[in-house]
Amino acid sequence: MESPPHTFETDRLRKEYPGTIALRDVSLRCAGGKIRALLGKNGAGKSTLVGILGGAVRPTSGTVLVDGVPVSFRSPREALDRGIATVHQELSLIPGLSVAENIFLGRLPRRRGLIDWRGAGRMAENLLGELGLEIDGRVTAGKLGLAGRQMVEIAKAMSHAPAVLMLDEPTSALALRETERLFELLRRLAAQGVVILYITHRLEEIHRIADEASVLRNGELVGTIPIAEATPVVIAGMMFGDLPGRAEAETVHPSGPPVITVNGFTRGEAYRDVSFTLHRGEILGIAGVLGAGRTELLRGLFGADPHDAGSVTVGGREVAPSSPAQMKKLGVVLAPEDRKAEGLIQILSTRININLAGFWPPSLRWITTAARERAVASRYIAGMDMAVPSVDGPVSALSGGTQQKAVIAKWLETGPQVLLLDEPTRGIDIRAKQQIFGIVRDLSARGIASVFVSSELEELMEVCHRILVLRKGRIAGEVSPGATSLESLLGICME
Amino acid sequence: MKRIRSLLSHAVLEIILAGLCIFLAAAAPNFLSAGNLLNVLRNVSMQGLIALGMTLVIIAGEIDLSVGSMVAFSGCLTAYVAGALGASGPGPGAVIAVAAAILVALLAGFASGAAAGALRNRFGVPSFISTLALLTALSGAAELITNGFPLTPFPPWYNFIGGGYLFGIPFPALLFVLAFAATHLLMNYTSFGRAVYAVGGNAEAARLSGINVSAVRVTVLALTSTLAAASGVMQSSEIMSGTATTAKGWELDVIAAVIIGGTSLAGGVGRVWGTMVGVVFLGVIMNGMTLLNVSEYWQHVVRGGLILLAVLINRMERREK
Repeated sequence: MESPPHTFETDRLRKEYPGTIALRDVSLRCAGGKIRALLGKNGAGKSTLVGILGGAVRPTSGTVLVDGVPVSFRSPREALDRGIATVHQELSLIPGLSVAENIFLGRLPRRRGLIDWRGAGRMAENLLGELGLEIDGRVTAGKLGLAGRQMVEIAKAMSHAPAVLMLDEPTSALALRETERLFELLRRLAAQGVVILYITHRLEEIHRIADEASVLRNGELVGTIPIAEATPVVIAGMMFGDLPGRAEAETVHPSGPPVITVNGFTRGEAYRDVSFTLHRGEILGIAGVLGAGRTELLRGLFGADPHDAGSVTVGGREVAPSSPAQMKKLGVVLAPEDRKAEGLIQILSTRININLAGFWPPSLRWITTAARERAVASRYIAGMDMAVPSVDGPVSALSGGTQQKAVIAKWLETGPQVLLLDEPTRGIDIRAKQQIFGIVRDLSARGIASVFVSSELEELMEVCHRILVLRKGRIAGEVSPGATSLESLLGICME
Repeated sequence: MKRIRSLLSHAVLEIILAGLCIFLAAAAPNFLSAGNLLNVLRNVSMQGLIALGMTLVIIAGEIDLSVGSMVAFSGCLTAYVAGALGASGPGPGAVIAVAAAILVALLAGFASGAAAGALRNRFGVPSFISTLALLTALSGAAELITNGFPLTPFPPWYNFIGGGYLFGIPFPALLFVLAFAATHLLMNYTSFGRAVYAVGGNAEAARLSGINVSAVRVTVLALTSTLAAASGVMQSSEIMSGTATTAKGWELDVIAAVIIGGTSLAGGVGRVWGTMVGVVFLGVIMNGMTLLNVSEYWQHVVRGGLILLAVLINRMERREK
């Protein structure tokens, strides 16, 4: 494996979709021996680039060069044959098969037409040994931990002896200790001359793994810098561009009576000793990098997952959240991160979904009729400007933004005090986003408080009265949007 | 035209059933007589009663395989308790004994379904597994109670429940129609009904909407098991004995009727009215073939084919939508 280092280039790579340009003439240059981090916020063009290099998306124009030779491919299989291997965020191993079978799936060695198990075992052993992995090829993949499976995934990619190894958010599911093992393996591979492209959301880890960082914004390559220069302020400037200052500094802090007080809320390592008070009509933002415990905290407060310690005082009563039904009754409700799978019931109608939370406990309303439900649904559909072709049609037919509004409508029908919103604007278009902001502000004016979790810091700066920063499960700071810059907020998130 | 079209596609099963009835009316002169039609209703009422509950269970994303055994067990338990309390004696004592026996049987049914629901909620045991175990266990328990011989402690008037007539209508059929109306209202006009659809459609989303998923599961399973026990009481009254070997394989007939009625085994989709049509459909086919002197072996083959056909039609109709 001690061959001269590989090289990898893209020359004016461009991808146009009807109406938008996802990638604008990106020219990247990477050399083996170094690990390149690829950064950018959602929608910056990272996934398009990963798609093109992995063979899943065809570029509109531009060239990819591996070791100086132009290559083109039409499928993931062909990309692999041309020397580019991708390890995706979702693991693709089959849990019931052995590690060796997984690595050589579809191309197991044969002898006289039958699978040569001994040969396969030897090949796997050699490969794992070369990569310095202490994994037994005979063990079933499902028995390995997440990190172990991630390693096998990389071994599988490396079994094709690629020039370029691309990793798409490989650590998103890994614990801190496990990422260290992954990084060691990547450093060894880099030392062997493989080009490593490392795509990540977790800004804080690039200093531990990468040698250089390239930043994409709006489909363009903003630049590439050595990692030593990549301070949070520099990276934020590259990722977000020159942001106009906050237009209206309407940080009129609602100082009504407290509606909910969270005290010492803790769950293992996910979040620890979180305390805050939310006032009537207040919009509280929660910022933090992926894995900081934001989702876990909201689910804990809603009683969707158990917590270890701490309490919540709501409506003058101190309780330990133990079920969504209980918290709903107290007026604390959650619009979950995965609205499709957890917020709504896709096969049921929009009418029933909007009434969903009002149905239980039945003592609230024993009798219900379609006509009455239709009236309730229509009120929200008109009030929130929802695009619904038919109230009695399945909710699955609605756009992401409209579905998010349906989730909020579902909760408003129960008369909540506090709305917990987990990434309410993820994956929805800019118009719907602004409408969601408008809804949250309207509710605030009506006295309903919100906790707003988002990965998009600009959003938090725009809607929230106050922002808490969560880092490794603890509150690392509190920020007032009017008095803080985006760069310093990002700085607090990453530190 | 469009309205006719939509009516056609929404009522495929009803139309097939009507066609079948017209055919039988022409082919078998007796078919349309009031006596025969009431007979059909009577024949389907005991399985139909269970099918109503099974519809709820399947919509909620669960299944109950133990209903056939529950019918036999409940009949035997009723006979045993009635006998032990002196049901064959004279006077009001017998009435009390029979009433107490019925109550015990219904409670046993309720407890059995609730237990399956609790296992599902607390330990994640699929209802398919727990009710499969109950299928065997209850069947064995029925044999244990009766020692292998039919128990016959019932006073003659007991026959009314399963074999009597009220206003010229078979009593079990009357119970079935009443239960149908109640379940139909429950599923279409109450919050509980909506919650059943929600739990079967996506249990996690239902939980995160503050719906008590565990309570819904326990309720539908307990209800169905109680209806099976009630059916067992009616059965024991019809044959005037507690017999451990009755109602073998009923669970499959019941599930077939529910599926024919358009309820999806995947949960979240289905109608009580559809089950009613499915139950009657199966009853009419059996009755028609008997009237036409089709051999019993052929009856089974034809019925199997028709079940498949009805489900296929349902599928195609849904795909068009």
